[in-house]
Amino acid sequence: MAVTVNTLAIVALVILVLGAAGSFKFRPLGFIGALIAIFIGLALCPFYYGIFIFLIALVNLLSLVALQDIIKGVDYCLVGLMALATMYIFTSHDFAMVLAALVLVSVPTYILVMLREGKANTEVGIKYITFMVLATLMFLTGALILVYAHTGIGSGSTAAGAGAGAGGFSYIYALGYVLLVLGLSLEVGVAPLHEWVPDVFTAGDPIPISIIASLAKIVPFLAAMWILIPTSTAITPSIVMFTAVLAAISMFSGNIGALTAREPARVLAYSTVANMGYVLSCFVVIVKPEYVFYAVVGGLLMLFANGVGKIGFFNAIKGEGAFSPLMYLLAFSFIGMPPLMGFWGKLYILFSIAKMEYFWLVAILVINSAISIPYYIRLAGELGAPWRMNLTNFICIIAVMVTLLTVLFVPVDWFVNNIVSIVHTLGVVL
Amino acid sequence: MNEWVVFALLFLSPVVSSIPIVLLYKSRTWTARLPYLSVFGIFISVLMSLYIFFNFPAELPDCRFVSPYTWIPGTGIDIVLITDYLSRYMGVITALIAFFIGLYGLDYMRGDYRPAWYWFFFNLFTASMLLVVYSDNLFLLFVGWEGLGAASWGLIGHWFRDDDEIAYVGVPARKVGPLEFCWPPSFGGWRAISTIRFGDVPMFFAIAAIWLFAGNLNISEIAWGELFMKLGAAGTIILCSMLLMGLFTKSAQVPFSEWLMTAMTGPTTVSALLHSATMVAAGAYVFIKLTWYIQPWTLHSVPGLDVVYLFVLFVGLLSGLYGALVATGMLERKVLLAASTMSSLGLMFGSAAASYWITEPLMSVCGWEVSLAVLVAFWYLAVHAFAKASLFLVSGHLIHATHTRFSVGNLEFSSKMKVTFAITVIATTFLVGMPPFTAYWVKSAMDEVMEHLLHEGMLLPLILLLATSLTYSAILARFTSLNFIKGEKPKHEHLEGGNLMKLGYVLMASVLFILWYLIFVSEETEKFVHAGYVSTSLLVGIAILVAYLGAIYKPRIYSLSAIGTFFNDRMYLPYLNDYIIPRIGFFVAHLVHHYGNRAIDGFFNTKVMPGLFGLISRGIRAIQTGYLARYIRIVLGVVMFILILVSIGGVHLWL
Repeated sequence: MAVTVNTLAIVALVILVLGAAGSFKFRPLGFIGALIAIFIGLALCPFYYGIFIFLIALVNLLSLVALQDIIKGVDYCLVGLMALATMYIFTSHDFAMVLAALVLVSVPTYILVMLREGKANTEVGIKYITFMVLATLMFLTGALILVYAHTGIGSGSTAAGAGAGAGGFSYIYALGYVLLVLGLSLEVGVAPLHEWVPDVFTAGDPIPISIIASLAKIVPFLAAMWILIPTSTAITPSIVMFTAVLAAISMFSGNIGALTAREPARVLAYSTVANMGYVLSCFVVIVKPEYVFYAVVGGLLMLFANGVGKIGFFNAIKGEGAFSPLMYLLAFSFIGMPPLMGFWGKLYILFSIAKMEYFWLVAILVINSAISIPYYIRLAGELGAPWRMNLTNFICIIAVMVTLLTVLFVPVDWFVNNIVSIVHTLGVVL
Repeated sequence: MNEWVVFALLFLSPVVSSIPIVLLYKSRTWTARLPYLSVFGIFISVLMSLYIFFNFPAELPDCRFVSPYTWIPGTGIDIVLITDYLSRYMGVITALIAFFIGLYGLDYMRGDYRPAWYWFFFNLFTASMLLVVYSDNLFLLFVGWEGLGAASWGLIGHWFRDDDEIAYVGVPARKVGPLEFCWPPSFGGWRAISTIRFGDVPMFFAIAAIWLFAGNLNISEIAWGELFMKLGAAGTIILCSMLLMGLFTKSAQVPFSEWLMTAMTGPTTVSALLHSATMVAAGAYVFIKLTWYIQPWTLHSVPGLDVVYLFVLFVGLLSGLYGALVATGMLERKVLLAASTMSSLGLMFGSAAASYWITEPLMSVCGWEVSLAVLVAFWYLAVHAFAKASLFLVSGHLIHATHTRFSVGNLEFSSKMKVTFAITVIATTFLVGMPPFTAYWVKSAMDEVMEHLLHEGMLLPLILLLATSLTYSAILARFTSLNFIKGEKPKHEHLEGGNLMKLGYVLMASVLFILWYLIFVSEETEKFVHAGYVSTSLLVGIAILVAYLGAIYKPRIYSLSAIGTFFNDRMYLPYLNDYIIPRIGFFVAHLVHHYGNRAIDGFFNTKVMPGLFGLISRGIRAIQTGYLARYIRIVLGVVMFILILVSIGGVHLWL
């Protein structure tokens, strides 16, 4: 099985490279290559999530069609690469591969963020890359420290480190945990490390930003979970309070910022900050294996809902408006109205936090959902337009269909059940 | 027959039989015919109640029926019915009175403008009352209890158009201070439901508290003594006071009596069934039932219970005297009877409450030891129900015949209404406690109960009882005299028809003879008969007779008209209901409107929250200057700060 998966991954990568090379001659070749590659990538991934990532990557690819950029189709391959890495992380049982996936998803965005019609958007690029490099560095350092604290590799000690009793390991563990979470926060834009988000989201071209706001968010969270869950120790329950506080700060700054922002791109930037806060809040569950799958379900659904929603909204900005009902449906999904996908995401996150008895965080999440209502409705109103036959509306329709998938499969048992099996594989990452 | 079939027929037949008339409410033909079906439904209830009376067990635990169907799973709240001594008697009384009044109503309500409304609520009322009577579970009882309240509102306000002055209470346009002392039916309905709700809510909480602390809601199963010991003196007093709020408001005890007076704006049948015989008696009935199972005479060691029973004793006796006194000044037929009803209910409460001190003699009834005082209260309830219902039905007929709600009628008039006159004399003399008629024996036992309190150093209860009894006798005699003997000559006389009405009250009053008979033959009422032969009781009986004859001879004393007006104005108690409490309500509304809303508005909408939002949002925006150097400083600053925190924490861990 492993051979097949790896072989497939290599085949997909080869196709991507060929597509990228060919696209200098003929631009659609890059698109086709990326499409085939992520289609092959579907086999890498447990079926349902694969579908979601496939769809998200597909609309990312499609939206690039609207951008006559300067790198002539290589952008497709970069998205394909990100999609492959995202799918690969679901089945990866290897610490090194998890970190590699993180880098594979992160680095293509450095190039994508600078895409613009005409010439490279270097100002945005510098801001973004500076923080991403710092973020990746902190994440990787944190991850290495955690593994060290967990296994004792390099210390000459074989005490495989549950940390209990060994104060030094606890300290090292805390350091690793905090560095990893800070790296993650900077990477995805959790307040108070979100400074780059509003600037980049506003100054960049909406299409590449939509990729950064959607596909690029999934792997960092999964990688963080993949590392944090097996390395958790006796002091983890007290240290997860740190993530809970970060999540709360992020929700409030994001929502209040969005509430008082005027520009749609800026509203979406702050909305991303808030959404990353929601997802981060389910990290409090990592110490209770029996509830982890609620957190993973909630976090993933939230990331998917956020991803397709952002794609829809950013494309609407690019296309100067999209069909009103589609905009409202996406807004309702963000608000968390049942039975749209955003509702299920929030529900499972709330469920996992409540199971951990973090009731204050539950209250903050609910309050934040409530205060987010006005700006989403306003956004949908501003971006809404009469029906037109164009690419923007086509992309928005796909985005809405994805948020409606949860309506077709109510209740989302299939999602939960499949997550259970995934969570079981978590324990063997290290 | 399966007992659940009997119960189902008992409770459901009145409701089911009144559904057709509701569905066909637009058809004049059908609404004229279908009332017979409604009354037939009540007749089935009568048969079932009699079947229960004769065939169902009366002793615990056989007389408790727990439904095989679980009502509210996991709470212990089930459909539990009981056919003990009180329920079996009260069930027959309720069904029989409802049936007689139903018969009467076929005549009385003929040609009314909304018969469907009337019959539906009338039958719903009957079913609800039967549910209250047979329930052992307090929650189930409360369901019936709320049914009583709803039906009472519907029926008092039956003539909701307020278009006929004959349905009003009080003299139109008569002003006393700022208030107009005249109430139309719609207002009467509102006063009733608002007063009753005021008591029902605390009662509901009391039931919830009982469930919480006793873990059981079956009246006959709860370990009341343990419950009260667990709650302590203060807890017991609070719990009982909340429960009593429901009972006192329902039974119109002071200061909640006003609604009953203006409930007379409803049709007379309603006054007879709800506001004399059954619904208002439900408060007293539930108190008697609770006392029956609480057995307060065995709980003298429980702190606080004596306070509760002393409180009920005096609320009851004072209501008794108040009701009798205000009736002396009244000229409106039904309102006079309403005031006397309130007085009787007070005596029921008073004598049931006296049971706390009456440890001797204890009577063995259906295998259960009860104090004589409780039995007295219950028998007085029974006698009062039939006698007062008869009198109400009579006054309804009189209102039809004379077309006025004020007392008029002389000997010439009464010679044309011989049956009515005779029934009035029977009902009044049988009720006031005149020897040797029915109530005399019950009242004698009541005298004995209050005399017994002398041993406890309480003289006042006996004085209150005697004063009430004498006044009570006088007011019913006054009713008789003003309507048949010494009243003015009626301006209108409408004497035709009314045979079903006559049948109704003749049947009703005839039960008084059966009760008379039962008092002499029943084992448990043996003591009543003994008490009747005691010379002091006889003396009281003779005093009552004298008061009766005196009031017949001189029903109105014009020289005392000032005090009569004071009484007729119910000692200005309407001010409490219509002026003081609304003022308090308006004051609270004013506070909420002007200060509460402003505070809430200020907090959420204009000052605090928006200010906070503005502040945070300015802070968030202030960060975004667009300079990379600044961002790096912030990010690195945050990272460094947290790493320092972790280091401090790490050192702490290390040590």
